[in-house]
Amino acid sequence: MSDVLVIGAGPDELVAARLLQQAGHRVTVVQEHALHDRVDGWAPAQLGGLQTTRPDPWLRTNDGLELFADVQRSAQSIGRLSARDAQRWPEFCERMARLAGLLEKIYLQAPPSLIDLRFALRVRRLGRRGMEDLMRVLPMPASELLDEWFESDILKGALCAFAVRDLQQGPRSAGTAFRLLHAHVGSPRGVFRPGTVDVAPLRSGLTMREAQVARIDVRGGAVSGATLANGETLPATIVVAGAHPGRVLGELVEPGWIDPDLVRAARRIRSRGVAARARLELERAPQWPTLTLAGTADDVERAYDAVKYGRISERPVIDAVADGAALDVHLQFVPHTAADTADIQARLVKVLQPHVPPIRRVSVRTPVDLERTYGWPQGQPHHAELSLDQALWMRPLPELAGYKTPVAGLWLCGPAMHPGAGVIGAAGYNCARAMQKS
Amino acid sequence: MLKTTPFHARTAPLCVSHAWRRWAGHVVASSYELTHEREYHVIRAAAGLLDVSPLYKYRLRGRDAARLLDLVVTRNVMKAAVGQVLYTPWCDHAGKVIDDGTVARLDEQTFRMTSAEPSLRWLEDNAAGMQVEITDVSDSTAALSLQGPMSWPILESMGAPALKYFRLAAATLRGIPVTISRTGYTGDLGFEIWVDAAQALPLWDALIDAGRGYGIMPTGLLALDMARIEAGLMLIDVDYVPARKALIASQLSSPFELDLAWTVNLEKERFIGRQALAEEKARGPQWLFVGVEVDWNSLERLYQEVGLATRVPGAAWRMSVPIYASGEQVGYATSGAWSPLLKKYIALAHLRAQWAKPGTPLEMEITVEHKRKRAAVTVVKKPFFDPPRKRA
Amino acid sequence: MTKPDVIIVGGGHNGLTCAAYLARAGKKVLVLERRERIGGAAFSEEVFPGFRFSVFSYVVSLLRPEIIRELELPRHGLQILPLESTLTPLPNGDRLVQWSDHDQNRAELARHAPRDAEAYDEFGLLLHRMARAVKPLLRTAAPDPASLRPGELFDLLRLGRYFRELPEKDLHALWKLLTMSAADYLDEWFEGEALKGTKSASGIIGTLLGPRSPGTAYVLLHHYMGELDGVFRAWGFAKGGNGSVSAAIAAAAQAHGVEIRTNAAVSRIRVKGGRASGVILENGDELEAGTIVSGADPRRTFLGLVREENLPDEFVAAIKRYKFRGASAKVNLALGELPRFTCMPEPGPHMRGAISISPSVDYLERAYDEAKYGEFSRRPYMDIVIPSMLDPSMAPPGKHVMSIFVQYAPYHLNGGWSDARREEFGDTVVNTLAEYAPNLKGAILHRQVVTPADIERIVGLSEGNIFQGELSLQQMFFLRPAPAWARYRTPIHGLYQCGSGTHPGGGVMGASGRNAAMEILR
Repeated sequence: MSDVLVIGAGPDELVAARLLQQAGHRVTVVQEHALHDRVDGWAPAQLGGLQTTRPDPWLRTNDGLELFADVQRSAQSIGRLSARDAQRWPEFCERMARLAGLLEKIYLQAPPSLIDLRFALRVRRLGRRGMEDLMRVLPMPASELLDEWFESDILKGALCAFAVRDLQQGPRSAGTAFRLLHAHVGSPRGVFRPGTVDVAPLRSGLTMREAQVARIDVRGGAVSGATLANGETLPATIVVAGAHPGRVLGELVEPGWIDPDLVRAARRIRSRGVAARARLELERAPQWPTLTLAGTADDVERAYDAVKYGRISERPVIDAVADGAALDVHLQFVPHTAADTADIQARLVKVLQPHVPPIRRVSVRTPVDLERTYGWPQGQPHHAELSLDQALWMRPLPELAGYKTPVAGLWLCGPAMHPGAGVIGAAGYNCARAMQKS
Repeated sequence: MLKTTPFHARTAPLCVSHAWRRWAGHVVASSYELTHEREYHVIRAAAGLLDVSPLYKYRLRGRDAARLLDLVVTRNVMKAAVGQVLYTPWCDHAGKVIDDGTVARLDEQTFRMTSAEPSLRWLEDNAAGMQVEITDVSDSTAALSLQGPMSWPILESMGAPALKYFRLAAATLRGIPVTISRTGYTGDLGFEIWVDAAQALPLWDALIDAGRGYGIMPTGLLALDMARIEAGLMLIDVDYVPARKALIASQLSSPFELDLAWTVNLEKERFIGRQALAEEKARGPQWLFVGVEVDWNSLERLYQEVGLATRVPGAAWRMSVPIYASGEQVGYATSGAWSPLLKKYIALAHLRAQWAKPGTPLEMEITVEHKRKRAAVTVVKKPFFDPPRKRA
Repeated sequence: MTKPDVIIVGGGHNGLTCAAYLARAGKKVLVLERRERIGGAAFSEEVFPGFRFSVFSYVVSLLRPEIIRELELPRHGLQILPLESTLTPLPNGDRLVQWSDHDQNRAELARHAPRDAEAYDEFGLLLHRMARAVKPLLRTAAPDPASLRPGELFDLLRLGRYFRELPEKDLHALWKLLTMSAADYLDEWFEGEALKGTKSASGIIGTLLGPRSPGTAYVLLHHYMGELDGVFRAWGFAKGGNGSVSAAIAAAAQAHGVEIRTNAAVSRIRVKGGRASGVILENGDELEAGTIVSGADPRRTFLGLVREENLPDEFVAAIKRYKFRGASAKVNLALGELPRFTCMPEPGPHMRGAISISPSVDYLERAYDEAKYGEFSRRPYMDIVIPSMLDPSMAPPGKHVMSIFVQYAPYHLNGGWSDARREEFGDTVVNTLAEYAPNLKGAILHRQVVTPADIERIVGLSEGNIFQGELSLQQMFFLRPAPAWARYRTPIHGLYQCGSGTHPGGGVMGASGRNAAMEILR
């Protein structure tokens, strides 16, 4: 039994804390940022039955397209736009589900090595078509993948919104097909939106305290605890940190313990947030559970163009989920430097107003706000952008992909780690298991 | 275009040999006279004046300047006194040498670091979160090296303060504010004088004027190369490959392998490469950097066999020459020279540790009349030449 | 000629290379070229009296040294003159010059960003290592990872072992290069906008992708690839223009007994019982051979020369979705005097190198933004060389030829390409360049503008794509041009491919032609 300090109180950190506590360690969780109760993602069964809510239809556009968990029902709706697309939808869902199935398995273990023979064999077991799909589809631009299957611009545009979510990329960028699959992981066939999970139960039975960590203490190359911003020292032989690896290795650990080249690499992990979040209070509850205003794939691409040059999209991609008479809105693209809410709010209201009951109140959180509130670096909920070069064995850096750091007893478990946000607690689960193995 | 140093207006007309050499993107005289011999002897007998401005120079200032340097280099900078100069290598995390140079403590919170390779990025990257301002002063600071037994009398005549070995002080020479350090690359009594680039020419003139009676002479890099080999001092890119340029692992060297064990201060809790160096120390280095002396009789015999008088290199050489022990290659020499002073053919060599003990008889490859032969050599202690005046 | 063993459709540099290697191995080879001249996109022509141009392809980037050696191309007249520097003029009147001399280059980089000068060597070292790791892939066919055939499995295992033996660090670095955008990759190393702009430009050449598009980092490697082969400068131009490359390969092929017929357009490849048996020319002639090799791009080969019904549906679908999207144009200028760049007005060594209009990544990305939606770039990226500086035979004494490679000029231009649109585009190019070299307009004696539509029309490259298909990740290695058919073979027995549309593709490299020949001889 040893003293374990878990820095951060996101789902990943909480899952790691619980597993370590179950293994008999004395665990303290240091909560640095505001807590989430509801998190978007897939809660694997291994975490013990967290409540997931899924809007159905999971996607609804203002042009009347509705996609449901029921593949046939979706096909009917698609049929109003294109008979050909409606016919292809079930097969598309089937092919994507196979690939997502492989990701599901990969996500609940430490990332495979790039040259892992077992991984190679597992991939070969997908058969020729599955393998080709995997190797061809993952690096593809979502827009091209969808172009291969469908003709309806409305359908393609709406799906593109999910393929670039929280990514500083447009649907024409290679690797966004992977991002679309990531959104599909853990969801029923034909659903490309993660559910919303109540993560509050993860906190029960854990010792938690609110504090800011100023330093992770290291003695002779091994962790000895952490020093809080108020100067208090918490001794521990194991520290599990959920913060961005750049902060953990580059700021919290004093220089000299870790290879400066690794620290440099950790600092330059790309973490640009690209979305603002908003909560709208309405006069009355809307008639629908979700509303996605994306336009065509080109509209999404144009929305992305702005952020490349540090501007807010003229016509942002807006995705709203109803919560009674309120809406939780995801608005993309907003540059990570954006701090001014008025501009964002104006665009949000302009786009949304025609489609929703009268708006009573709007509160917008910019990437800067999100960083302050949740500790998301630059407002990026995945901490490390989920692009192909920062996924799987590359996440967040190949040297850190095993959750272990070069400092003995210091582990990483946050959203920056494989598999990233969206698979609730999986990084914590994988981290705790890696720790138990070693 | 290549850069010229702030002294170029003086050195160019003096360089009658028109022999220039590149050094860190600058042109510097190889030798001023048609041959470099006299310049070499000036270093050992009078005072050679060398333009060493191409060195990279950084000023580090701030509360954490000492902490940063202490983190980067292998020696203990926290303990360095104001006015002290440290010669030190610095390593990557794997304990392999990136570069070597000097760290001078100008005051409590100000240091000057010299290096052979540009080092701004490395310093800045390791300074994250520290209060230290790092300025590249390579171009704004000119430097002259005055080396040889007469160097002190010249400076003394100009009113310079007395300095101990590896100490430095601010001074004013003929009205020109300078910093003088008792350092050099010749293994002799000598000083380096650091001056604002705008004052470079007046300083040159003042030194030449003051040194006239003491045999001062502008000296080029060829003479310096011979002197530094006699002093057993290694040269980057010649005697070792800096870690950042190594293409394969076998090209890397640790400080232990470069005979710099004395600079590795493992008592410091943290510095870059410490863990790897501690492990290497426990294990013992696999290679050592030593001096070897060619056995004159053996050399003479090789030449006699073909009917020639013995020949020795006229200038220092820089190449890789195999060294053997009972027929098997156990190392390689990387620089060598005929020492006109010692009347010995000497070389600096990397040897596998078990062959590196002083006194070990070995063989070095010598090409005699187009044929590769082996001359007897003996491992000796460095430096080959170590006059008491160097530290006195 | 009696019945040939092999008929090669298309006399481009890859077809000729393939022919030369096959003939060298004792095959009787007949090359059929549709046009009146050989060379495909690599040809030179006296477009205006006294002025010779490499009309389309203009630099020799990665012509495999083993091809130069094995086919003894210098004996057949090939000489490659090195391009020694790259000048990037900047809008503010400054410039960045990347020199081949290390010290000079370092000083120039340091002038813009001191940290870049330091990072540059380390960056070069890493890419050098990566290029070394990738090189074996260029020299062999790409094995199919899904195959169960013993031969392929063996190759796959061999390749697997090769990669397993590489340091893991290098593998990861390689993965990054394959998946990242050139801009993101360069951001990890450099600060200087001009340096990043110019370096990232090499990642977008020939593709309808911008420097911020993932997958563009890989091409950065190509610049380092040549240096591994002991070639001092990897980039250069052929004396006499790029036509001399084709001419030298053709001469080498003929020396080995290859027969080359021009004005011999193939209309169809005859297939009987799943086997290629010969070709039918447009004039109705029929020629027989047991082996047919197509140097044409995959679309022209499988959707033109071969009937679809002879091919499996999956394969046809794969070829149909294979992307071309040509985006590059050429503007060839005959000049009465040298251009005077505001940033470096005097004639000097910089005029003997490349001149790149790529002041920043944003500049290139904006150029791409327009092309993405079907417009040509209003302020395009340009890669300029003045071959007459090194090879005076290209222009009358004192006069010059300037070759401007331009992006983006999308093949699928909104409203389509027309003569008016072509000239409008030419004006855009000249006006943009004149901002950096004000005397340019007055110096122009003649102008030739070549759009992707022209390239398709004249040379037959689909959609004017200079690489016979985009070099993007899902069209590379064992996926080029279609999964399971990346080894120069096709679903039709006896029909092979040897063009840039096969692995490794791209540039005047000749590797596809050589690899195809090796595969056929296997």
